[in-house]
Amino acid sequence: MRDLQPQLTPLESLRSYTSLFLRSAKAGFAYQASTFTEILTAAFIYAVPMLVWRQVYAQDPTGMPLSKEHMFPYLLLACCVNYSLSMGVEFRLGNRIRSGLIATDLLKPVDFQVSQGVICISDSVFHALLGLSVFFCGFLFLGPAVFPASASSFLMFLASFALAFLIQYGICFIFVQGAFYTYSGYGIFAARGALHQTFSGLSAPLAFYPPFLKSAGDWLPFQHAIHTPVSIYMGWAEGAQALHLLGQQAIWAVGLYFLGKLLLVGSLKQLEVQGG
Amino acid sequence: METALQVENLSKSYQRRLRAPGLLGAFKGLFSSAKEEVKAVKDLSFTIRRGEKVGLIGENGAGKSTTLKMLTGILTPTSGKLEVLGRVPWKERQHLALNIGVVFGQRPQLLWDIPVRETFRLLKTMYRVPDEIYQTTYNEAVARLGLEKLLGTPVRQLSLGQRMRCDLAAALLHAPAVVFLDEPTIGLDLSVKEQVREYIADMQERFGTTLLITTHDLKDITETCDRLLLLDKGSLLFDGSIRDFERKYASDRRIVAELHKPVGLEELAGLTKEVTKLGGVLKESEGRRIVVEHKEEGAAPALTQLLLARLPVVDLNLEKTDIETIVTRIYRQTPEKKA
Repeated sequence: MRDLQPQLTPLESLRSYTSLFLRSAKAGFAYQASTFTEILTAAFIYAVPMLVWRQVYAQDPTGMPLSKEHMFPYLLLACCVNYSLSMGVEFRLGNRIRSGLIATDLLKPVDFQVSQGVICISDSVFHALLGLSVFFCGFLFLGPAVFPASASSFLMFLASFALAFLIQYGICFIFVQGAFYTYSGYGIFAARGALHQTFSGLSAPLAFYPPFLKSAGDWLPFQHAIHTPVSIYMGWAEGAQALHLLGQQAIWAVGLYFLGKLLLVGSLKQLEVQGG
Repeated sequence: METALQVENLSKSYQRRLRAPGLLGAFKGLFSSAKEEVKAVKDLSFTIRRGEKVGLIGENGAGKSTTLKMLTGILTPTSGKLEVLGRVPWKERQHLALNIGVVFGQRPQLLWDIPVRETFRLLKTMYRVPDEIYQTTYNEAVARLGLEKLLGTPVRQLSLGQRMRCDLAAALLHAPAVVFLDEPTIGLDLSVKEQVREYIADMQERFGTTLLITTHDLKDITETCDRLLLLDKGSLLFDGSIRDFERKYASDRRIVAELHKPVGLEELAGLTKEVTKLGGVLKESEGRRIVVEHKEEGAAPALTQLLLARLPVVDLNLEKTDIETIVTRIYRQTPEKKA
């Protein structure tokens, strides 16, 4: 008879998360046809706003907050960052809560929130690889304007992107918990998607926003998922200003993590797994 | 023996939204907050010692799976106390998970899109399984459950029976101290069921595992367990050995005698009196067949001797109500009678 096993040490947990990451990444590539369809769909979805903005700039670009030399690389980068942050956590976890399959996730000897985050990292890496093909297409049309402003901008962008991932995951993890209460999270997920679309700077740089919308966005974390990393990449925020933005991102990332953890305690008490 | 599971006055209730029938009812439901409270488990108490093999049975909706989910820490009880290996499951779920193995027959834990062996490797790391134990449990599972050809197949391409076998192997890879099996043979054909039961029994014996099985197939219980818990509408109706269960509920013991020639009425009347004296009842007498029922466990030898001495018996059978029939009868009884 085996004795009572002590909890995993931090190093053992890290090994478990690495193993989970590798298996989840493999699962991402399991469906060949779906992968290629996804790339084509992404290219199409992101090409449409580009074409719309091209039409707008072709009319009368005077009075625009940004020149088209800044605008189009921004849009391309925003699309690529957004695509790389696709993690499907709401769809995946929402379905598992509804079907009761979450029971098997909760029975693992690792932190539920972190392990779901690790699966999201594998999603994000998978989408980032696909996003590079979109970036390459953009490069063919826009040329070197799509490259980072400087080496330091690129390094800070990488840090900012990592924090953007944590923020995006933190937001999604909080919203997906709505499924514990509503049993069908689609309405809540749609609300999260609308807020992201509105405040992240995905559709247009924040410079285009009406003042009231921009002020509202300043109190929310969404812009730090897209606008902040892209601004740093483009060199619009450099040095101290960029570090200040990174600090804001870090505060949001930590705050959202702990808020998600706190809410999970109540959410799990709501859990109902019916039928066998 | 050390206590593995301690359950005291455990209850679990949940809210169910009330909806009127039809499309209009569904629409009205959008604006209604009417709910009813459903008590899935009511004041349940029992103790299981380490190494015990216990079957938990009950009708659909009796509260078996809910009990199991509370014991594994997935669900939080509404009230009452429970401990598994000295830990409160819903508070120390992550730690407890290292020490328990769980199979939910209808919810596989295998990763859906990748080959089975990938899940096994992940679990080896995640459950910190020492090499020597992994070699034993892995090799045993592969050999006994016939997994060799399945290891390289993505889980989504496995049949239900294949998936169940792999899921069972996955749950036992870390040789957990306590194993919870929720309908482990659901949907399996007879030969695979047998294979699974033998594997469970052997692994239990090898590692001294504490076993709690819920099932609707009572052969799972009779072939792997010593003790039975019978749940009825969330409450415990019986807790004891399978033999005690049969003693309590199996009132019908029958002696069926096939005769060389029919018995005359006069002789039959005399026999009826003697059978009654020995604690039996002559139930049927049709031509060359006589059936005697008795409730006393020790009455069979005397009754058998009587029949052999008084009748031209050519064949004799002692029949006892099987556990499946007993349980079916209990399910059909009114709540008062069940008690």
